[in-house]
Amino acid sequence: MKRRRLLLLIPLLLFLAILVASLYGRRSREYASDQFLMDTLISIKVYGRDPKVLKSAVSAAYAEMHRIAELVDGFPQPGTAAYNSSDVCRINRQAGLQPVRVDPDVIAMLLLAKKYNELSDGAFDVTVGPLMDLWGFGGDSPHIPPPEQIRSALALIGSRDLLLDSRQQTAFLRRRGMKLDLGAIAKGYATEKALQTLKKYGIRKALIDAGGNIRVLGRNQHDTSWSIGIRDPRKPDGIVAILPLEDAAAVTSGDYYRYFEAGGVRYHHILDPRSGYPATGNMTVTAIAADAGLADVFSTLFFVLPPHKAMEAAARLGGVDIFLVTANRRILHTPSLKGRIEILSGGGYHYEQGR
Amino acid sequence: MNRGDKFLLAGILLVSLLILAALYSRFSRYSTAIKAAQAVVVVQGKVIRRVTLPVPGKSSFVVRGRIGPSTVEIDGAQVRIREAPCSGQVCVRQGWISHPGQSVVCIPGEIIIRIEGANPLDAVTR
Repeated sequence: MKRRRLLLLIPLLLFLAILVASLYGRRSREYASDQFLMDTLISIKVYGRDPKVLKSAVSAAYAEMHRIAELVDGFPQPGTAAYNSSDVCRINRQAGLQPVRVDPDVIAMLLLAKKYNELSDGAFDVTVGPLMDLWGFGGDSPHIPPPEQIRSALALIGSRDLLLDSRQQTAFLRRRGMKLDLGAIAKGYATEKALQTLKKYGIRKALIDAGGNIRVLGRNQHDTSWSIGIRDPRKPDGIVAILPLEDAAAVTSGDYYRYFEAGGVRYHHILDPRSGYPATGNMTVTAIAADAGLADVFSTLFFVLPPHKAMEAAARLGGVDIFLVTANRRILHTPSLKGRIEILSGGGYHYEQGR
Repeated sequence: MNRGDKFLLAGILLVSLLILAALYSRFSRYSTAIKAAQAVVVVQGKVIRRVTLPVPGKSSFVVRGRIGPSTVEIDGAQVRIREAPCSGQVCVRQGWISHPGQSVVCIPGEIIIRIEGANPLDAVTR
């Protein structure tokens, strides 16, 4: 009898040993890495069991972002390898001359851009290049251009004259002097491609922070929603709200990122392609959508619109939530964020509960 | 209680201990996340300094970035890049950071200062 009980203990202990071993083996590991890419810092953090898989997934994701970055690079030196590998440079060079065969990802970005150009009646436009060059936000000395120069730059803007042929994989700017600037879409699109790459490696928990453009996969390491702060538009170390995020992207456009002041007025880099001047309705707009490329487009599009029009458009377009701080310091957000988003007081902004 | 019962009891105790140990090892991963805030300075991909915050009073130190020396200043629980050799001065203009999850980045110098620590935000959209 005693012996039988003793013998019973052996399988029990074995079972336990296996249980403990499996718990240990299932231990989720973190792998995090940073790279400077697309004029910003890209941080990727992934969780999973096999460190080797985590590492190769992350390096494949960076490679994918690198590839997209080269395709859209707008400012490489002529004659360099980077200049020749940039599809955007080639399209711009052939403006008014001939269609250019480009990478399928460039076509995908331009199709997305054109679609939202139409849906926003021109508030979002990737042919804004001549205007961006005029204001000089890409360089060291941005300045207010004379009105007649703004008028002539505006005449060169219009996605109607961006012709895309998805079967032939070609893109064509119809008029000489037109110029693409994919600044409002490329980083988000590349972020989404990087995330899809991680997924292909079987990763189920990840966070990509592309210079403040956030895309998360699954939940965080504590198995709760990722907790994403939204930057205070007037205090670099402040947070105005905390947003829980799962399997989605949050992208912010703000008037504080690249700007200069003249005569007490702030001139920032998000230009309204219809007026030729920086958009004035909002200090910051965060767009939350399932896809990082879409969220990138949305954050710029809604930033350019006046706040009430942005709220209307978000409801009309669907598939997107927005959080914004208006130029007169009011906080607004789409109804479905209610009860999820935490608005922090103390920033001096006006928030009506229940909105 | 005969000898067999004693063995069984000992076995059950052992089992509970093992389960506790297993749970603890899982739990301890989380508890390591709950720690004092630290300012982590990364230059060209390498962590060159970790400073536990807050630090009493003001202090500063120089880090050598890709394009030259930058001055990092710590004042209590907050950190900033005070001087940088670049033309843009984006990192200097960004000012102080103090919340876990925040970071100051100098892109030309490839310098990152981030605050890690207690109950952090996973990231900040900006």
